Amino acid sequence: AKRTIRQFNSCISTNTKTDGVFTSSNRKEKTQSTKTVTETAPPRASPVCPPAAAAIRVLRGHQHSVTCLVVSPDDKFIFSAAKDGSVIKWEVESGKRLCVVPGGKKGTEGQHMGHTAHVLCIAISSDGKYLATGDRNKLILIWEAATCKRLYTFTGHRDAVSGLSFRKGTYQLYSASHDRSVKVWNVEENAYLETLFGHQDIITGMDSLSRECCVTSGGRDGTVRFWKIPEESQLIFYGHQGSIDCIQLINEEHMVSGADDGSVALWGLAKKKPLALVRQSHGTQGSAQDLQQPYWVSAVAALLNSDLVATGSHSGCVKLWKCGEGFQKLEPLCDIPLIGFVNSLKFSSTGDFLVAGIGQEHRLGRWWRVKEAKNSICIIPLKCRAEAPGPMAADCA
Amino acid sequence: MLVWDSFCPLLLTSMLFPSFRPVETSAKKPMPFLRQVVPVTKKVHRDPRFDDLSGEYNPEIFMKTYSFLDTIKKQEKEMVQKQLKKCRNMEQKEKLQQLLNRMTQQEQAQKKQQKRRERELTLKRQQRELAKQGKKPFFLKKSEKRKLELAEKYAELKRSGKLESFLNKKRKRNAVKDKRRLPTQKNL
Repeated sequence: AKRTIRQFNSCISTNTKTDGVFTSSNRKEKTQSTKTVTETAPPRASPVCPPAAAAIRVLRGHQHSVTCLVVSPDDKFIFSAAKDGSVIKWEVESGKRLCVVPGGKKGTEGQHMGHTAHVLCIAISSDGKYLATGDRNKLILIWEAATCKRLYTFTGHRDAVSGLSFRKGTYQLYSASHDRSVKVWNVEENAYLETLFGHQDIITGMDSLSRECCVTSGGRDGTVRFWKIPEESQLIFYGHQGSIDCIQLINEEHMVSGADDGSVALWGLAKKKPLALVRQSHGTQGSAQDLQQPYWVSAVAALLNSDLVATGSHSGCVKLWKCGEGFQKLEPLCDIPLIGFVNSLKFSSTGDFLVAGIGQEHRLGRWWRVKEAKNSICIIPLKCRAEAPGPMAADCA
Repeated sequence: MLVWDSFCPLLLTSMLFPSFRPVETSAKKPMPFLRQVVPVTKKVHRDPRFDDLSGEYNPEIFMKTYSFLDTIKKQEKEMVQKQLKKCRNMEQKEKLQQLLNRMTQQEQAQKKQQKRRERELTLKRQQRELAKQGKKPFFLKKSEKRKLELAEKYAELKRSGKLESFLNKKRKRNAVKDKRRLPTQKNL
């Protein structure tokens, strides 16, 4: 931890006018922001302090690798799901498990309340009412987030459901699946709306914000597609070389994605190629000098309406990045050491902490197994950096 | 962009302002299951007989450049003859015999064509000489050319002594053909 702080100190810009709170000035959620920056100025992240190893809270409870997680909009609860089909509701402050829905054995779909196959994706509505989970059995289960009671089941996909996302402010659910289609559902009315086609390989990730649009990453077909649902059209973006495994929207116009060749790309909706591309972001692994393979990027997260991006892999750390001016560059900020496969990353809505879902295996398969890792979720506090470096350094250390 | 297109053609605008925007397509068309992973180039088939690259056909040049094929044909014919001698199987023997016949007939046809060409050449030479000497060049009719051919044929046959048999065969063939022309019982 000391070494990282020293590195961080050396590259920090002396911006003495920053607040104590970590936010960028023009994030819409923050109303009490002190700076009033014009809308044309790019969002700026105040320097993030890498937390000490002791400050990272590890919450254990899943028996198998955690595959996906989501933070409730009020930052009080975390819902996570694992490869054994279990879904757990955690309380952030105390770290206790509030509800546990265990995974069932294969073949007990009729009787069992939860999932009986690997849960691949999870999503929560923006008011925290409904929770949706999708698994390898082609089912989408809708739960009431407060009580963890199962409400509905959506069938219709013809292969594993790999991406779920609610439209902010509504109960419209978008689901993406390995059968290459995107389906639109209305959870409140328990209705299916429509299906969209276009991907030529399995869809590996999905995200949406408040517009009636969603973005999906298409695995080996090498495309990221932006779906305009009312117009029934799609925008196709190319740029990654490997299989695109994860994607997140930063704001309504930009998104970040990660691929299995280690590259992380920053996209803008106006350009078909990425605005910024970082190759081998987590380094390479391999026994010999010639057999070096890049670490796969298994999860990306972006703090909404800011310029902070986090990427996770099984290289032993979660990397934080800062988007440059106008999202044209991606600069590394710091590393947070975490052993295991980082299968999911989510920022809290205020940006106070980052949650990582750790597993011994990759969420989609069993290529490697990291024995030293614990199947858990880790809450990483993201602290601010105040003006005086002296007391703060002591604080961080 | 619209103003530009009205003045310049679409190609020019696309060259001047290459599009960096993402492609927008319909989201409602189901995708085929198989996807093209590696670009496969289509094989362009060309027939050298009708291709411009092969050039124009000149029989003299053709004969000269491909004269090596005659030796190969001879060798093949010898091979077939040997095989025919060795062969026991009746079917295969028939096939080989047919092949041999085909080969010999092709050879004879080639020789005939060669002779025809030579005759043409001699005629042309004669004409040129006559023209040189100052006399008017005259051109033979097709029927007259055929008569000359027939005369040559008869001379050849007489030399080899097969004239009688050839004439008999011809008489028989003509008789059968004429009989066909006669009115039959039905038409009476």
